[in-house]
Amino acid sequence: MTTATMDNKGIQMPILLVAGIGFLITAGLVMFNLSSQGHAAFNISNDGLFWGFPIVVYDFFLLTSTGIAMVACFGFLFTGETFRPLFARSLWLALAGLSGGVAVLMMELGYPLRAMFLIPFSFAFSSPLYWKVLAVIGFTVCLLLLIWRARATQSTLDSLRGLTRLTLLFAILVTALAGVVYGSQSFRPFWASGDIPAAFIVESIVGGLAFVYFFTLLAYGFQADKVPVSIRSVFAGRMGGVFAWAIVLHLVFVVGRTVNGLYGNVEGLQAWQYIVSSPLYWIELAALMTALVIMFSHALRRNILVQVAAAVLVMVGLFIGRYEYIIGGQIIPLFKGSWAPPVLSYAPSSTEWLLLIMAIFLANVVNALGGVLGITRSR
Amino acid sequence: MAKWGMVIDLDTCTGCQACTTACAMENSRLPGENWQDVLFYHEGKYPNVQLKWLPRPCMHCENPSCVSVCPTRATYKDPEGGFVLIDWNRCIGCKYCQVACPYGVRFYTDEKAVVQPDIRTVFPSEEGRQWDPPWKGPQDDPRRGIGIQPHGVVSKCTFCYHKVSQAPAGVPDLDEDIPELKEYVPACVRVCAPKARFFGDLDHPESRVNKLIADHRGTRLKDETGNKPQVYYLSGGASAAVPSLRAVHQDKA
Ligand code: SF4
Ligand code: SF4
Repeated sequence: MTTATMDNKGIQMPILLVAGIGFLITAGLVMFNLSSQGHAAFNISNDGLFWGFPIVVYDFFLLTSTGIAMVACFGFLFTGETFRPLFARSLWLALAGLSGGVAVLMMELGYPLRAMFLIPFSFAFSSPLYWKVLAVIGFTVCLLLLIWRARATQSTLDSLRGLTRLTLLFAILVTALAGVVYGSQSFRPFWASGDIPAAFIVESIVGGLAFVYFFTLLAYGFQADKVPVSIRSVFAGRMGGVFAWAIVLHLVFVVGRTVNGLYGNVEGLQAWQYIVSSPLYWIELAALMTALVIMFSHALRRNILVQVAAAVLVMVGLFIGRYEYIIGGQIIPLFKGSWAPPVLSYAPSSTEWLLLIMAIFLANVVNALGGVLGITRSR
Repeated sequence: MAKWGMVIDLDTCTGCQACTTACAMENSRLPGENWQDVLFYHEGKYPNVQLKWLPRPCMHCENPSCVSVCPTRATYKDPEGGFVLIDWNRCIGCKYCQVACPYGVRFYTDEKAVVQPDIRTVFPSEEGRQWDPPWKGPQDDPRRGIGIQPHGVVSKCTFCYHKVSQAPAGVPDLDEDIPELKEYVPACVRVCAPKARFFGDLDHPESRVNKLIADHRGTRLKDETGNKPQVYYLSGGASAAVPSLRAVHQDKA
């Protein structure tokens, strides 16, 4: 192990303990609520809001996971050994994010276990969800293999190149198919668009970068003097630039969708008027813009705490964006009438919020476990 | 092989909701789980305002988007009759079909009860079903989404498969006025007092439903979706066949 790859192992154990206890408590509460109330513990409704906050959380974690994997694979393939100190950690972080997302999905589905064995063998070729599940399985297997292979002392870029490419392909595929799930709903103009898979890929990469920044620096207790020079230079250098440009691209998609939506007169697009009149939308834009300014400034982005702030701002902005996208596609009822309001009102229930906290704890448990077991250390 | 379809004459429909009630009784539906519903809405502004209504069952689409998106093939199109049905033994409750149905006719009844007291707690089921009403129809076919569903699955109108599928082969129409056929007529059609509903074989050249569609320019709801409903609406008079979707509170939107 070189100094460049050594992390502050001391911090991982307390994180593991706190996150572990937090996970047990929140998962227990969620299980209790679900077993006593069933899915009535969620605020979804047959009026038209079928996919609520749990799907927002699930999608956010899944796309964060694929985004982190994309960042890791792109970074390793294009910069080689320069990215080595971040490679194993990022891959493990992707797995941590995936576990959080899948856990939430399991709580949301009516029959999660049935889903696991029925979907892969259903051969439902016309369903985007079928392909997405296959892609997630491929992604998970590749990710696990790559983590295992990357830990081998003798692993070189050349020896890992094939598997890294395959993992990258699966990460892109999962993200794009997640976009197709929404983008293919042609009668929901809020969602339907051919560019959604591309928008999801960009958004994933932005999220992936934010999480890599945050959790890498967290591993060193956010203390600049503990962060190896090699990581500091990657973060302040090219990766910072890529982060800034990725935010620009993401903003193009967000603002473009908003403007088009506000111009549009098609049924369903009125959702945009509600979205832009909500402070959440402006918080999202402000968060992303601030992070953009930070990452574009060479002087600012050298500071580790500023990097952490930018990462947090991006995480918040992306989460709000995901919420707006998934809920926004459903808040205008398909048939408005005497008992269907022009806009459905929706606010997550306490159980739905608990799912988010549970997913955060679980992802932190898995991530910290990697640190404690030394899996996140590159050789 | 029949391709069953329904014709609803909006000029005759009085919006009495007898169809909704008959469906709920026939199929033991929960309050609010209206497989068949009549949607009321108003168009225009005072003083030029009109109250309108639209009966809306599942359209049993020829090209159903709910079938296309289902990742487990739980929702399927029965080639014999053209019914769109759900196999509750395969449904995982992902609700993708609900999201993908342009007509909003699918129900996930694990959500909060729309009417209090929650009748599921008044008549709880000991077999893991949604509820156990004191009276329920004898039909129980989970592989076709018939009967009372278990928790965690989606339900929808079956076009009264349990009745229609028993009809003698080759009949062009199932009409409640023909004594020997009335038992095979869907509940919503049979009970319709002003006779605004007709049910028959869309592939049968002699069927009355085909004649009505041809003679009265039957239209399909949201035909632009390409789902090709097997439910047609007739309207030539005062009623709109397809409601103007932004009719309500457009200015507030
Ligand atoms: S109306 Fe909806 S549920 Fe019925 S067949 Fe068509 S898409 Fe499926
Ligand atoms: S909820 Fe059931 S029927 Fe609907 S798409 Fe999912 S598995 Fe298929």
